[in-house]
Amino acid sequence: MPESIPASLIIDTLKDTFREARAWLAAEIAEPPRHTHLGWILSVPDTHQKTVLAALDKEPAIRVLTCATEDEATAIAAGLWLGGEPCALMIQHAGLYASVNTLRGVAIDGRVPAFYMIGLLSREKEKDPRESRHSMVRYCEPLLDTFGVPHARLEGPDDVHRIPEYFRLARERRGPAAVLVGLETI
Amino acid sequence: MLKPEDVLRAIAAARGDAVCVPTMTTAPAWRTLAPDDLSVTCVGFMGGASALGLGLALARPDRRVIVLDGDGSLLMQLGSVATIAGAQPRNLTHLLFKNGVYHTSGAQDIPGGLTVDFVLMAKGAGYRNAYAIKEPTEFKRRLPTMLTEEGPVLVELHTGLAEKTPMTDRGGLPFHRQIEALRTKLLRPRAS
Repeated sequence: MPESIPASLIIDTLKDTFREARAWLAAEIAEPPRHTHLGWILSVPDTHQKTVLAALDKEPAIRVLTCATEDEATAIAAGLWLGGEPCALMIQHAGLYASVNTLRGVAIDGRVPAFYMIGLLSREKEKDPRESRHSMVRYCEPLLDTFGVPHARLEGPDDVHRIPEYFRLARERRGPAAVLVGLETI
Repeated sequence: MLKPEDVLRAIAAARGDAVCVPTMTTAPAWRTLAPDDLSVTCVGFMGGASALGLGLALARPDRRVIVLDGDGSLLMQLGSVATIAGAQPRNLTHLLFKNGVYHTSGAQDIPGGLTVDFVLMAKGAGYRNAYAIKEPTEFKRRLPTMLTEEGPVLVELHTGLAEKTPMTDRGGLPFHRQIEALRTKLLRPRAS
């Protein structure tokens, strides 16, 4: 059965992930950008990950930019990538559906390693998401499959290693990758 | 009324090392005026230039970022005006080429046509500055300021139709190659 993941665990994992991204960049380029923060969260607030967003308010190492739409968040991620800044997009499944053209046009066609953390709001604890009675839960993985976006489920604290793994995968494949947050974070 | 090509020519001459983000009808002319420069063109993702420019501006606060936007394009992601205002990038100049139509798809009127006031929208959202320019002499006089003043600044440029559109003048590097080229120029990989 899936379990809720503590916000602090997700944030610590993101910090480690961004540190690794900066170390990778520092090894690759002549003059890596110097900032006091580690990376960015681009958020269109997600009910499922609200405890993470609340805790990020007190986390100076990660800058949070609230975006009006997921389209914007994806395009902003491309701009940050161009400038060498690590980021993660924290959105909801419905927001993924709303921004499919930008996923295609920017992240896939532009070969931008956009890393998505997608909350599966209304996912039933006892059901596989693909068998959910809610279309917004049920269609998420098939949609990502259709667009060839690799994805993994975060079904509990033991799965947080998927965050750096899929962040790295996005960078290596030069394209989007996603983790799906199964239950509300705590 | 401003001629888009004249405006772009003047920007190309004055931009220095600014990164430029053209979209739709500014793209073909910009490709000719600044063929191998710090630019990335947004075509096909429905108004994303302003947001992509914001990401660049946040990542590279040491450089000016100039978005060469269109009124129809901005309407497709109008929320980005609030997102930009919220982020307050001091190095972002948002130039809006206002012609009142979706030129690329056949010059159909945008909703509201020329009555839509983007200056008011930008000011209402919280841009540091926003103003409209309609005459070439005023544009030339104010250009140096709009490329250096503290942003975010939006300038509504009242223009006629461009000579070319992405439909009449296809070409240029594919988007992913533009991304790779600009990233390489901005980040300068270590010599191997």
